[in-house]
Amino acid sequence: MTQNPETVGVPSGMPSAIEVHGLSKQFGPLRAVDQLTFEVAAGRVTGFLGPNGSGKTTTLRMLLGLVSITEGTATFGGRRYLEFDQPIRHVGAVLEATSFHPSRRAEDHLKTVALGAGLPLSRVDETLDLVGLSDVGRRRVGKFSLGMRQRLQLATALLGDPEILILDEPSNGLDPQGIQWLRTFIRHQASVGHAVLVSSHLLSEMEETVDDVVIVSHGRLVLQTTLADLAQQAGTSTGLRVRTPEMARLRAVLDAVPVYYRQTADDSLTIDGATPEWFGPLAAQHQIVLYELVHDRGSLEEVFLSLTHGFDAADPSLMGSPSATPAGLSPMPGGAT
Amino acid sequence: MITLMRSEWLKLRTTAVPWVLTGIALIINALLILVIFLTRPDVNGGGGGQVSPGYTVPHTTQQLRNLVGAGFQGYLFALLLGTLIVTTEFRHKTVTTSFLVTPVRTKLVAAKLLTAAILGAVLAVILLVGTIIGGGLTLSARGGSFTDMIHQVPSVAPGFILVFALFAILGVGVGSVLTNQVAAIVVVLGWFIILEGILTGLVHSAFKWVPTGAAVAASNLTRDRGSDFGLFHWWQGALLMLFYGLAFAAIGSLILTRRDIT
Repeated sequence: MTQNPETVGVPSGMPSAIEVHGLSKQFGPLRAVDQLTFEVAAGRVTGFLGPNGSGKTTTLRMLLGLVSITEGTATFGGRRYLEFDQPIRHVGAVLEATSFHPSRRAEDHLKTVALGAGLPLSRVDETLDLVGLSDVGRRRVGKFSLGMRQRLQLATALLGDPEILILDEPSNGLDPQGIQWLRTFIRHQASVGHAVLVSSHLLSEMEETVDDVVIVSHGRLVLQTTLADLAQQAGTSTGLRVRTPEMARLRAVLDAVPVYYRQTADDSLTIDGATPEWFGPLAAQHQIVLYELVHDRGSLEEVFLSLTHGFDAADPSLMGSPSATPAGLSPMPGGAT
Repeated sequence: MITLMRSEWLKLRTTAVPWVLTGIALIINALLILVIFLTRPDVNGGGGGQVSPGYTVPHTTQQLRNLVGAGFQGYLFALLLGTLIVTTEFRHKTVTTSFLVTPVRTKLVAAKLLTAAILGAVLAVILLVGTIIGGGLTLSARGGSFTDMIHQVPSVAPGFILVFALFAILGVGVGSVLTNQVAAIVVVLGWFIILEGILTGLVHSAFKWVPTGAAVAASNLTRDRGSDFGLFHWWQGALLMLFYGLAFAAIGSLILTRRDIT
């Protein structure tokens, strides 16, 4: 794979495998993808995250030449998908709404792909083995469960032993063991230097798998960063939830110290950035009765939700304090507003 | 292109489509052979034209030619084969995978055209062999000359095979324009079974221009009396058929290339 000389955008500093620049898609009156720009690094797993309907699938399909591009470019090491002679030897894709002929056997399906791409038929057994379908290779796909179809899709993507993998919501239909297996598999792909772009509408599902995140909402880029940076952002947005029968006295005490708090119910309030170690002695000193004291750590999922749902609708406990957006993590212009 | 064609053939033969179509074509072929033995041409030495119930043992050149080409109307199955080679991909959404393997969609359509043409020709050969065996046995049993029948094969077979290949090409063309399987089949059968007959019934001179007219010309089956219908020469008919097929395929490729696969 050649490195695009203009590559600058990958947060990790690794060479880019996928470059998306100013990508837009217009479906009639709908702007499904709007000026999307991001890059995916080799040797890393990039989570492509956003709520359903945020343009993830359309973006991936534009990358793969299945959906025409209205504006912008989507390339792999500088080459469009259509420019590869045998694209599936470079890019493997698992997409939703792809299907199989129900009366075709799993291995025959893989053979049609292998033949079409000029790959040796020995790859068929190898990939069936890789995804754990060797025993059912002779079965007709119509009899397959959703999870087995998903594995067969993955086998199809792996036939050409590509250095780039694109997976659209790959854990759909997989059982917990299947999801665990998929995680291990994806990590392994990255460890051998392959680039993996995996979409999901749930960050929690991806937390253990991804290195980088590209977050989109309404077809626009909200944020491209590393998972570590996002975790740091989540870590800073902590709060202390306090429940007390003496709300008026507690408020008087808090008003006297330099903290930011919000009352969330008749008997509850949340103090931003506070710790139990700081607040416990303070409450004792003023002899305030406490029913409950909870240290909330902002989870990645909360950060993700607040980013994709827009700041207006965000949970105020996350965005209330200015420290919620640390330097170096500036949301993109045109992002969630 | 060879690898793509092998892939297309594998795609087809791992479904029921080619086997079912061939099976039905053979059955209909057998029925058409029976029709030849069980009808009596009214016009002397004719072969088409008016027929009435009766019993015939084909012996004139034209009758023997008709017997060899008894399965001619099986070209409809070559047409369906060509149509299905495209539309099943859309019906079962396997087209996403096919386009991922071959992102230049015109290439995929070309592979399907060539594969269908070959398979159409193969279907023609199967039907011819079936006719020679089935029709030949019946002919011998009824006191006809099997040798005389065999003598007509070299002059009938090439046109027969050519027409099947051309119809398969036309099928791929139609299928790539109308990717909805049901719509494509309805349109194809509707045209060839109903509409074309109505059109040529109203405007006789149109017959030589419609696909069936072009095919009959290309087949050269009715060489002796082709002029009755004012048909084209066989090569003109073949070119016209090819034009129809490739025109549809070109339009289909254009549509497919612009189409978003979502």
